[in-house]
Amino acid sequence: MQRAHEALLEAIFAERDRIMSRRGFLAGGGKLAAAGALAAAGLPTIERVAALAQGTPIPFTSDVEVLNYALTLEHLEYAFYRDGIGKFNFGTGPFKDNIGTYLMAIRDDEKAHVDGLTKAIQGLGGAPVAEAKYDFGYGTDEEKFLATAQALENTGVSAYDGAGQYISSQALLTVAGQIVAVEARHASYLNLLNGTLPFPAPFETPATEAEVLKIVAPFIAGTGTPTA
Amino acid sequence: MSVRARVITVPSAAQMATATAAASPAASPFKNDVDVLNYALTLEHLEATFYRDGLAKFATAAFTGLGFQASVRDYVAQIGSDEDAHVSTLTTVITQLGGTPVKEASYNFPYTDLASFLKLAMAIENLGVAGYTGAAQYLIDNKKLLTAALTIHGVEGRHAAYLNLLNSTSPFPDAFNPADTPAQVLKVAGPFIVGAGTPAAAA
Repeated sequence: MQRAHEALLEAIFAERDRIMSRRGFLAGGGKLAAAGALAAAGLPTIERVAALAQGTPIPFTSDVEVLNYALTLEHLEYAFYRDGIGKFNFGTGPFKDNIGTYLMAIRDDEKAHVDGLTKAIQGLGGAPVAEAKYDFGYGTDEEKFLATAQALENTGVSAYDGAGQYISSQALLTVAGQIVAVEARHASYLNLLNGTLPFPAPFETPATEAEVLKIVAPFIAGTGTPTA
Repeated sequence: MSVRARVITVPSAAQMATATAAASPAASPFKNDVDVLNYALTLEHLEATFYRDGLAKFATAAFTGLGFQASVRDYVAQIGSDEDAHVSTLTTVITQLGGTPVKEASYNFPYTDLASFLKLAMAIENLGVAGYTGAAQYLIDNKKLLTAALTIHGVEGRHAAYLNLLNSTSPFPDAFNPADTPAQVLKVAGPFIVGAGTPAAAA
């Protein structure tokens, strides 16, 4: 147990160092790559997603960018539930819970997150990213819908946990924390519905923006990645 | 099954405007990062002991007696194991930072049977999530520690969701998790602590 958590901390710190050394690389050398990456920093979301999905490192240069990253994911999640829930008859969960009712609650949470992040970005004078077009690929398969929901929620937790360190305002960091706690609650429930341990590890695994967008890019039309 | 009416508390425009104002650091109730981590460790010790003692009292039959599957006890045991891991990690990190980790205290948990134990577990987990949510901002100047705290915070959220479900309550009662101040948290947790292990922030 001791070694496991030490390894985890090392992994967390190593990830941070890896990201920071990428920043160093961009500041110092690799000018052509740097120019491309920095140019991509200001791109509309679809292009940024495509670039990141291909592995081009693009550092966050402002709180607006971090929040727009979060908003990209929240738009995706909200659209997923909004457009999908009505297609299925979910029935009852393991604790006599009405699954449909709770999925609608998750949908409403994501909508609230979209609204909150949009307001925050506007308050900072930034342009909130818009909802994209998505193809989630579950068709009429309820199990696949729930498995995709599980993947989205867990990915969302990792995304926020990886991005929190780039927020420069304490108040915004608190709001991000308020959101990610709820995403973790969602993930716990979706894990349970999918027959997985609600809390698969004692520590979350933070992910980089590139890792996260590589996972979700296939769901977003126009990013040049094949749909799931 | 009772489902409490959901309150969607979306931060108001005024709140979001405040959130985006240029950072002058909020007056911190903590002296330094070690104090923040010791605050977290105080709560983790409380939780770890709570589950350890409860699991010693309640065997599988108690869970199935309440109509739960036997696996529910395994899941509660996993929560306890997670809290042990949190105690261990926070203790190690505080020591590495040159600080003195708070020790496990003595506690008085007012439950009388498994049902009341699970109800209190729900309250304690949700309190912990709110505590981490309110305190994360005080680690803003240390990216490593902030990230480490976030990796614990998410798991507490998962615990809370599960325990809410066991108690026939929504796993996610709010769109934005409450962010409690350390004073608020310690006010609720304080009565459970009857021995040493002084909390870091009393203000």
